Amino acid sequence: MTVIAAALWRGVAFALLWWTLAEGRTENWGLGLAIIGLATLASLRLLPATALRLSPRGLLGFGTFFLVQSIRAGTQVAIMALRHRLDLAPAMLELPITLPPGAARIWLANTLSLLPGTLSVDIGATHLRLHVLDRRLPIAHEVAQVEARIAAVLGMEK
Amino acid sequence: MTALEWPLALFLLANLLAALLRAARGPTAADRMLVALLFGTGGVGILLLLGRAGGNPALVDAALVLALLAAIAGAAFARRAWTDGDADERRP
Amino acid sequence: MSAVLEVASALLLVAGAAFYLAGTVGLLRFPDVYARLHALTKADNLGLGCVVLGLSLQAESLAVAVKLLLIWPLVLAASATLSYSIARRADRLGITPWQGKEDR
Repeated sequence: MTVIAAALWRGVAFALLWWTLAEGRTENWGLGLAIIGLATLASLRLLPATALRLSPRGLLGFGTFFLVQSIRAGTQVAIMALRHRLDLAPAMLELPITLPPGAARIWLANTLSLLPGTLSVDIGATHLRLHVLDRRLPIAHEVAQVEARIAAVLGMEK
Repeated sequence: MTALEWPLALFLLANLLAALLRAARGPTAADRMLVALLFGTGGVGILLLLGRAGGNPALVDAALVLALLAAIAGAAFARRAWTDGDADERRP
Repeated sequence: MSAVLEVASALLLVAGAAFYLAGTVGLLRFPDVYARLHALTKADNLGLGCVVLGLSLQAESLAVAVKLLLIWPLVLAASATLSYSIARRADRLGITPWQGKEDR
């Protein structure tokens, strides 16, 4: 059952992608349908239906959070760069990670690199090495917040 | 249509040229790599603006492919760094 | 196209260019490779986001607008992974971060 549901959802996603890439033109739908089918098969083969369960609510929450934060991040660093005097207090931090190894941690590291004031430097076995632009800010709290958001998307509610 | 696209594309190009100063100055190899990062985001922006300014929508596809390849190359790169480690690296 | 959309689009494009400029200034001014990475990954990505959104407001169809918006997350993923690779390499090579003047 999960396989059929996953195939359906992924098929819809690939169809939307095709529609976008073809800019809404309809004359190539024959080819499109064949490619959508092949893409769905390949995706089920490479990433089995049981391996990936995304929560739509978690995804929406993460998306809005990320959008707001990346606007904050860009503005903050732009102000820092354009201000007359550089007011930075950089530091290297090692923070413990609670997310399981693999994709979740890579996602965390990449997200943190795009959020205000943090830059991922190294993913260790238990800790994440971060460079921060201003060590006076509550970094650990923000990292925990991002971890909780990612856990919510992957359905690993803490 | 706004007439902003041409000047903005040129402006972004000027940004890329200014960034070459950083590549020239270094001081470390990592600093020089930063320019590659800027050329990715800047290059995609320029392609999109030029596509609109010149009325050439194919450039949007070019930008999309560039972004896609950059994402895949980045993932492959990270994966390699992940599995190889760099035990052979020494401090300069 | 409504005049409101056109003005919003123009404002977004100019804002995007401003963020690109801030990224370049940061790249030239910030004291070490890590701080410069902060400037590029955040300011330039927001700059591209503004440009993409601004252009998609003028797009002739919804599909074209979505296509433009699709570019943003791809570039974000690319620059986040590339930035991680550069930062990790720099750290392994023993480049210590600039600590600020008050600590020296």
